[in-house]
Parts: sequence; structure tokens; C-alpha cells
Amino acid sequence: MKGSVGWRLVTDDGVSASWGLAVDDALARRVGTGGSQTTLRLYTYRSHCALVGRFQRVEHEIHMDYCQEHGIAMNRRPTGGGAILMGEDQLGVALAVPDGSGDPCGGARAWMKKFSAGLVAALRDLGLGAEFRRKNDIEVSGRKIAGLGVCRVPTGGLLFHASLLVDLDVPLMLRVLNTPFEKIRDKEIAWVAARTTTVRRELGKEISLDEVRREVAAGYSAVFNVGLQASDFTPEESQAIAQMERDKYLARDWVFQTTDVNDAAGAAKVKTPAGLLDLKVTLAGRRLKAVLIAGDFFAPEVGIAALEAALRWHSSAPEQVVATLQEIYAAHPGLSEAVPLAGLAEAIELAVQSAALVKSGMPGEPYGCFVVPESAHG
Amino acid sequence: MTDSGNFHIPNDRYYDPVNHLWARVDSATGRIVVGLDALGLSALGDLVYVTLQPVGTPVRRGEPVGTLEAAKMTGDLIAPVSGILIGRNELVLRDPSLVNRDPYEGGWIASIDPTSWPKESAELIAGDAIPGWVKAEVERYQAQGWI
Repeated sequence: MKGSVGWRLVTDDGVSASWGLAVDDALARRVGTGGSQTTLRLYTYRSHCALVGRFQRVEHEIHMDYCQEHGIAMNRRPTGGGAILMGEDQLGVALAVPDGSGDPCGGARAWMKKFSAGLVAALRDLGLGAEFRRKNDIEVSGRKIAGLGVCRVPTGGLLFHASLLVDLDVPLMLRVLNTPFEKIRDKEIAWVAARTTTVRRELGKEISLDEVRREVAAGYSAVFNVGLQASDFTPEESQAIAQMERDKYLARDWVFQTTDVNDAAGAAKVKTPAGLLDLKVTLAGRRLKAVLIAGDFFAPEVGIAALEAALRWHSSAPEQVVATLQEIYAAHPGLSEAVPLAGLAEAIELAVQSAALVKSGMPGEPYGCFVVPESAHG
Repeated sequence: MTDSGNFHIPNDRYYDPVNHLWARVDSATGRIVVGLDALGLSALGDLVYVTLQPVGTPVRRGEPVGTLEAAKMTGDLIAPVSGILIGRNELVLRDPSLVNRDPYEGGWIASIDPTSWPKESAELIAGDAIPGWVKAEVERYQAQGWI
């Protein structure tokens, strides 16, 4: 690897959810105090585990019964975003760096774009047209291939998290993460496939996770102009990790915590000149977590997927929704005839107004990339 | 009010220059009402989640009093003054977007019964120092690509 300033590279595989998360958290804290070197960790979890975002409710995002029956660990990331399924075919990327700015309000999007650049470079070196886009995701051909999150730890360290889909067992994901799909058929799988993709799918061939990992390491080395020195944890780090796992990631208080922000779900049907719009939304407070646009209209799937992606974690305020819709319609000229903007905006507003609180077992935002709300009104 | 670009910074309160929190003395109670300023919010983005320690918790200036998430970035909410957490804006805890919509009034976050206000207020930005600080911060944020 090139570069004059060294980072450490840690690679490990088949880690447990609690230990894997404890490593990232503990290292970020130590990096913040200067006790550990800037570290890039490229790793996989033991197949499989389900990880919710920092403030999500496990019972709303994950099929807990299914996970318990099948030995799938559930845990909570320190970083934000949606629930994900991790295992041997999903490369975890954790970059623990000192926060040079010392500014807690530092722009999330700027951090995310900066820290994901190594991942984007790696995917491009593999021949994929990867882009950092929209809601802090990495996409290839308009489909999400990696989800990102950042956490600023109390010691002044920054932890950047990414989950790169080298491959994905979509039916399993649909069983683990909470979705409205009662059956898992080709239709539902195709629906997910229109919104997510994987390295193997895009390449159209087998590629080992190790090979992808090497590319990602090389991508970070090149983009940040640093040398990567492979090494293991020091005894002090191992001790800090063990304590972090015991005190936090093995504690029910952490994994099953809740916030005062209520999850809610709503639905609306609106007749438009182009057909019936059947719209469903999920919300965290007044924030749209997800929007599902269905109906008997004929619209390009890529345009509908773009609309749904743009509305994830979006304000539910009508004027802000309309502004975003206008941007997406401008980029997808065929949409306006298939799904009139005014009708869609009306449907979203009505669905938000109809939203009722989620009690339990309601869907959230699996993989932070596709939208699977179900009606709160049966 | 100091206006710099699109950012409105009221002159009637103090500002933590590191964390972009404002602190206003409630003249009726002597408590310090705390919130996030418009510039910090612009860089953070829309708040999705906010949590706070329970009422009655002792807090120290510069240490976490809660947590937040905006645009998939999580972090601590840092107390701008030391004291006892005496009030939490329950509306904000249920709907953090209120902070973005109305940062200086309805979107206040917490109130603190201060223990070191005379000393700590001197470490905050106030009065005539506000316009220069805002201008410099806007330039710094723009240079970082945060706004």
C-alpha cells in the first residue's frame, strides 16, 4: 500500500454481533483519545445477525420470533440509519478516525461522502459505476449497494460504518426484517431487486469476499493516500473491547431501548387521470421513514424507486415533499404522465394525515433501501 | 438578531461556540434554557431522534446530556453549562423536527438549574461578540462543505 501516513488495517470474519459492534465502538473511543491508531476494519459477521439503527425499535424493525427460532442475533448499532441483515456475504466497513474538526455539528453528509470515498473508489475499480447519492447511500445504476452511517463518540472519535452487499439472500432478509409481505414470492423479490443490488449481481460473476475486501482496502489507501498496516488488537484494546461488549452490546438495556419518537403508519388511495395511486407510509415522529408507491398506473420502475428512495428519512411537511418530488420528476421525465405529481403529493399528505401509531410488529425500513410499510388500517 | 446568509442568530442569549448550542437565562426562574442554533442545525440536517437524561440528573459543561440523530449521523448533545437538568421539552423528544422548525422558541431542548453560571457564561459568546463569531463560523462551515 502507498502513502506516508499509516493507518491500521484489521480484518476479521465470522464475528458475533455483540463483539463486532463492541470492537468498532471501543476503537473509535480510543482513537478519539489518541490511545489507538486510525483504524480501517473490514470484516464480516457470523451468518446471520440483524442490526437496527441507533434509535430504532428492535420490535418494530425485526421479526424477533423468526430470529430467535433461527439463532439470528439482534443488536443495535451506534450509528444511525435503518435495520440491516449482516453475514458472510456482507462486508462490514468500520473506519475509526480522530475528529479533527472538534465540531459536533459537522455536516453528516460531508462526513459520509468523505469517508465513503474509499468504498466508491473500490467499486469503480471493480468496474461498477458507484456513486454517493441521496440519503447517504452508495448506489450502482440507481440501486443501493451499500448503506452508510456515522457516529461521533464522546471522546472525539468518529466512527464511519458501511455495509457493502457483496451478495444478499433476499428471501432471508424478507423473513428477518419486518416487511408487509406475507408470502415471499418472485414479485416481492423482484421488488427488492429493483431497489438494491450486490457486487456479484453487478459484475455478473462470482467474486470472493476476500477479493472485494482487498479492493476496498486499496480504495481507501488510494483515496486517503495512506499506507495500511495489517495488525491485530493490542492487549489494552482487547480489554476495552471486552468491557464494551459486556457493558453495552450484551446488555438488554442497550439492545431493546426505546425513544419517545413514535413509529406510525398510514395509507391513502387517490384517483388520478393516469390511474389509482395506492400509497403507504411509515413515520418516525413527523419524519417519513418510508413510502411505498403502488397502484394500477404504468410507470418506469426506476422512476418509482427513485421517488421512494428520495422520500426515505424525509420531512413529511407537504411543501418539502413537493420540492423533492419536483426534483425527481425533473430527472425522470416519463414519470409525470404515469404518476401525476399533484396526485402523488396529495396521496402522501393524506397518508401522513391518516397515520396511526405503531404498536408492535410493524415494518420499518429494512436495509434502509426499500420501502415496505403496511397499512395501519388493515 | 444577527443575520448571516440564511442564518438568524438572536442576540438575546449566549452561544456555546464549539457545540452551537444556545443558552438563555429565564429571568423568572434563573434557569438556563438550552437549544441548538440555526447554523449548527443547518450543518446537522433534520433531527430524527433526540434523547435526554432524566430530570434531576447532574450535568457538567462539555459533557453529554443526551443524544441525537440527524441524517444517519449520531452523536451526543453536549451541555453548555453545568447544573441539574431540570426540564426536558417533551414535545421535542416526541417530535425532534420541532427543533429545526422553531429552534429558538418552541424547539428549546432542555433547561438546567445552573451551578456555575457566572464563570461558565464568560466562556460563551454573547452580546457584541455574536456577529463576528457568526460570520467566522459561517465561513468555516462553508469552507468545510458543511453548509
